Amino acid sequence: MVGGVRVEFEELAKRFDLRVVFRGVSGRAEPGSVLVITGPNGSGKSTLMTILCGLVRPTRGTIRYLRAGGGEVPRHAWREHLGIVAPAMGLYGELDAMENLRFFSTVRGLGFDEERCRALLREVGLDPDRTTPVAGFSTGMHQRLKIAQAVLHEPEVLFLDEPGSNLDPAGQDWLEGLVERQREGGTTVILATNDRREMEWGTEHVALPG
Amino acid sequence: MWRFLAEAGAVFVKDLRTEFRTRVALNALGLFAVTTLAAVSYTIGPYRIAEADRPFLLSALLWIVIFFASMAGLDRSFVKEEDTQTAPLLRLSASPLVVWAGKLAFNLALLAVLMAILVPLYGMLMGFRPVSLWGFAGILAAGGYTLAVTTTMVAAIIARAMTRGALFSVLSLPLLLPLLIFVIQGTRAAAEGSPEGVMEALRAVISLGGIMTILSVVLFPAVWHE
Repeated sequence: MVGGVRVEFEELAKRFDLRVVFRGVSGRAEPGSVLVITGPNGSGKSTLMTILCGLVRPTRGTIRYLRAGGGEVPRHAWREHLGIVAPAMGLYGELDAMENLRFFSTVRGLGFDEERCRALLREVGLDPDRTTPVAGFSTGMHQRLKIAQAVLHEPEVLFLDEPGSNLDPAGQDWLEGLVERQREGGTTVILATNDRREMEWGTEHVALPG
Repeated sequence: MWRFLAEAGAVFVKDLRTEFRTRVALNALGLFAVTTLAAVSYTIGPYRIAEADRPFLLSALLWIVIFFASMAGLDRSFVKEEDTQTAPLLRLSASPLVVWAGKLAFNLALLAVLMAILVPLYGMLMGFRPVSLWGFAGILAAGGYTLAVTTTMVAAIIARAMTRGALFSVLSLPLLLPLLIFVIQGTRAAAEGSPEGVMEALRAVISLGGIMTILSVVLFPAVWHE
């Protein structure tokens, strides 16, 4: 990773028809830090995550991805710098774990490095030789594979939306270690959660009002 | 260029793999094609049409069967991405044109399979024997491509709508009507053995295919991301 990417957002607002989800939300996530976004159910944490990663446009406000070495990353290129785990983002249920990683690795232009994918699957606690389609996975295994997919390309910005949900205690310990390693490696981690333990990993916090 | 082909190929292979493991689109296309073909051949058959009307009516019936069968399954690749919530990750992982090219290749493959089964069956059941086989093959290839490129774009547009099934046909029909007219004319010309008629229709169909390809390349990134 060279330098890292800082994510800045100012006065963000999102409205669906007449319903205002949130407004006036600002924050900054630096490389090597963990920005934790908290808020009660329905406060718009997941919506904010989809806005910050560029999937949805805000009703108002600005978001900027700034390279540590200087210069702004254009919006169409954000996807090359980020990885994401979110409840509403699924993997391909008909494919097995390795086929999923192979697909995401190839469409990201990395080619297919089988050894790297095998090592990553072992790291998240999945058997690389298991050929069961992902649809047959438990929710915890599914979550582990989503995390493997998110870090596969060593992103500079990592979005984690309730990453510990469905993970067993050992999985949560492992997740904590992963977030720590990502942070130490200079990754900008943006974490949306209401879990007290995950909230403690944050170096900065943004609280959404209910 | 090689990188683009590799990435689009990955989308194509992924769609092919998931389709062969579920067979949703294949079953929809196949069932619709066989049912329509059976209904047409049972109610009309090869001998109830006057000899002079056969080239035109049989050409029109063939393309109507292909059109409606394709309406039953060619929207699946995009609709499925939205239904199974895989579209957001795909948006964040692949470039829009890679997705478009991969999905187009998948729809072309589906349509090729459909035509490879449907056209010979239609020929046998309806007694349809074009005089110019090369002309007929050219019209099928150009018409199939234009049908696939148009339905791929419409499928991307309707994938996020609530009433997708109805919208797909409603939006596709006006876009595909000129194509249907030209391919029916071309197939009729091939059936009668008129090279000039085939060439005239081929030029029109290839032009339509070119226009739809350029429009798709220009518009797809906005449709896919907004």
